[in-house]
Amino acid sequence: MLIYILKRLGLALIVALTVSVIAFALLRASGDIATALAGEGATPESIAVIRQTYGLDRPVVVQYFAWLWDVARGDFGQSFFFRTDVAGLIFGKIGNTLILGGASLAIALALSIPLGVLAAIYSGSMIDRAVTMFSLLGQALPSFFLGLALIMIFAIRLRWFPASGTDGWRNFVLPAVTLGYYITPPFMRLVRAGMIDALNTDYVRTARAKGLPARRVVFKHALRNALVPVVGLVAVQLGLLMGGSVVVESIFALDGLGYLAYQSISYRDFPVLQAVVLLLSLAYVVLTLLSDIINAWLDPRLRAA
Amino acid sequence: MLKPLLSVRDLRVDLNTRSGVLHAVRGISFDVAPGETLCIVGESGCGKSMTSLALMDLLPRVARRSADEITFDGQDLTRRRIAGKLRGRRMAMIFQEPMTALNPAFTIGDQMVEAYLYHVGGTRAQAVDRAAQMLEKVGIGSARSRLGQYPHQLSGGLRQRVMIAMALMTDPELLIADEPTTALDVTIQAQILRLLKDLQQELGLAIILITHDLGLVSRIADRIVVMYAGAIVEEGTAAEIFDRPAHPYTRALIDCIPQPGKTERGAPLGTIPGVVPLLIGRQDGCAFRDRCSLAQPRCADDIPTQDAGSHHWVCIHGGQA
Ligand SMILES: Nc1ncnc2c1ncn2[C@@H]1O[C@H](COP(=O)(O)OP(=O)(O)OP(=O)(O)O)[C@@H](O)[C@H]1O
Ligand code: SF4
Ligand SMILES: [Mg+2]
Repeated sequence: MLIYILKRLGLALIVALTVSVIAFALLRASGDIATALAGEGATPESIAVIRQTYGLDRPVVVQYFAWLWDVARGDFGQSFFFRTDVAGLIFGKIGNTLILGGASLAIALALSIPLGVLAAIYSGSMIDRAVTMFSLLGQALPSFFLGLALIMIFAIRLRWFPASGTDGWRNFVLPAVTLGYYITPPFMRLVRAGMIDALNTDYVRTARAKGLPARRVVFKHALRNALVPVVGLVAVQLGLLMGGSVVVESIFALDGLGYLAYQSISYRDFPVLQAVVLLLSLAYVVLTLLSDIINAWLDPRLRAA
Repeated sequence: MLKPLLSVRDLRVDLNTRSGVLHAVRGISFDVAPGETLCIVGESGCGKSMTSLALMDLLPRVARRSADEITFDGQDLTRRRIAGKLRGRRMAMIFQEPMTALNPAFTIGDQMVEAYLYHVGGTRAQAVDRAAQMLEKVGIGSARSRLGQYPHQLSGGLRQRVMIAMALMTDPELLIADEPTTALDVTIQAQILRLLKDLQQELGLAIILITHDLGLVSRIADRIVVMYAGAIVEEGTAAEIFDRPAHPYTRALIDCIPQPGKTERGAPLGTIPGVVPLLIGRQDGCAFRDRCSLAQPRCADDIPTQDAGSHHWVCIHGGQA
């Protein structure tokens, strides 16, 4: 198990470095940084000064390692648009996005696992069809539409939750439901398919032959194996989650990373965009690593790999 | 015969398929006495697995079971609640594919103790002791360390031994073994059969052994049931079946057994010419008549069952025909 984890860790490190090169190249490819930093109407002299101050006249490789060193210490440079420290900017918002993402994922799993299991046990029946309809709806419904509908009902009419802002946990409920429902269908489908497969396996038949109660057969013997691909999907779905959080944070004016990413794209604020891309990619790498480890625990056969 | 441990009367299994209702088991009846080995033999597709799964209430969802009687030690197995109490406790089952019959996610030990803890109770330590003891009984060395291993770390032969040990955890009176050696290579096959025979003598276990290989059966069977196309065509003691086979199908099966000396080395395994009839819809007359060299026009009518003591067969011909 330890060797397996070390191997995955090494692989994750290589991917992370590759990502950093791409993120670095993104900023260089966006145009002349010194010109952008100097702002509009700057003289060639002031641009040259900035170029020297920021070390932009050095060879690219040297610049890359200098930048990597800065990033490693949490220094992501200056925002073109906000004219402040990128690290500070992101740090203030990352927590909100993490809460939103975590809550959405929890809602998606809490919906999709029981529903997927139910649909698999009664596959082909009315229950299965109802569950599939419910999850298809989550996919067909644009998240801005569901978000607005939830605001209409729960914020404006019932006044249970605020419509916008970032003041407390109540602000996260509606966005998390919106985002959670949005990412539920792929999980539901995977749990359902995995459970249908698992329930038809020989080892589930063995468990039934042992006279174990149905509950134990389903939740111990079948679900454990059906969850292996689901864990992998969590990592993959992070992309969908982040994409969705751009929309959802904008609707609910939730002050998070998704909203910041949206702003940095529209203002061509490349240092911010670079930092967001880098962080999201790193989060992705870490999540993949975690899912590999969880899977190795769920499925002992993987540990040998 | 002793008071039977298992009695089956007019057992039927119907499967809903796209091309119609498939009658996989067509009204079979048999008894199993305590401590005896009953072998059910027949070609692939004749309904052996459906019969065994029906007894354990493990049929696939497309299958429907009906029977006049299925009793275990006098208790009605067709009642869910009673079957639930007996299954995995007083009657156990092992399967053809030892490679897939164990759950890959849990250790051998974990899978062995769970039915014991559920049915018998006691502490986990007691259950683990019993599991180690059972592994030793089925001939697995360093049992303690095996308990911590996962199925994928074991060979096919070892896994089938584990399956047997697991089935015996609750000290059942009946073990149903559906082709337990088919997936294993020949030397391992012999070992597993030997093991079953020994365990039976030691524990007084009744065994229903299901196989398509009549040759395998000669070493272990007390009584033999020969199935063809979902029905029993002949039934008798091992001696009766091998010395005086009465049904042409049984004789064809016996002729397929490779004989040392007689059968050429490397000759293809014997098979009966012709194909098994479709099991969809009704079957009038003898199902074997397309392949039978002794068939006559009246074989298309109802065929009487002939009896000679414990020996029965379903054919127009008498025993010596
Ligand atoms: N899930 C299923 N759906 C439809 N038909 C099935 C299904 N399982 C089995 N059958 C059919 O039922 C009949 C009896 O099958 P069964 O598995 O009992 O045969 P068997 O005697 O065990 O054969 P084998 O030696 O191949 O294991 C066969 O004709 C088979 O095609
Ligand atoms: S009843 Fe007729 S066809 Fe059937 S086995 Fe006997 S002789 Fe052959
Ligand atoms: Mg079979």
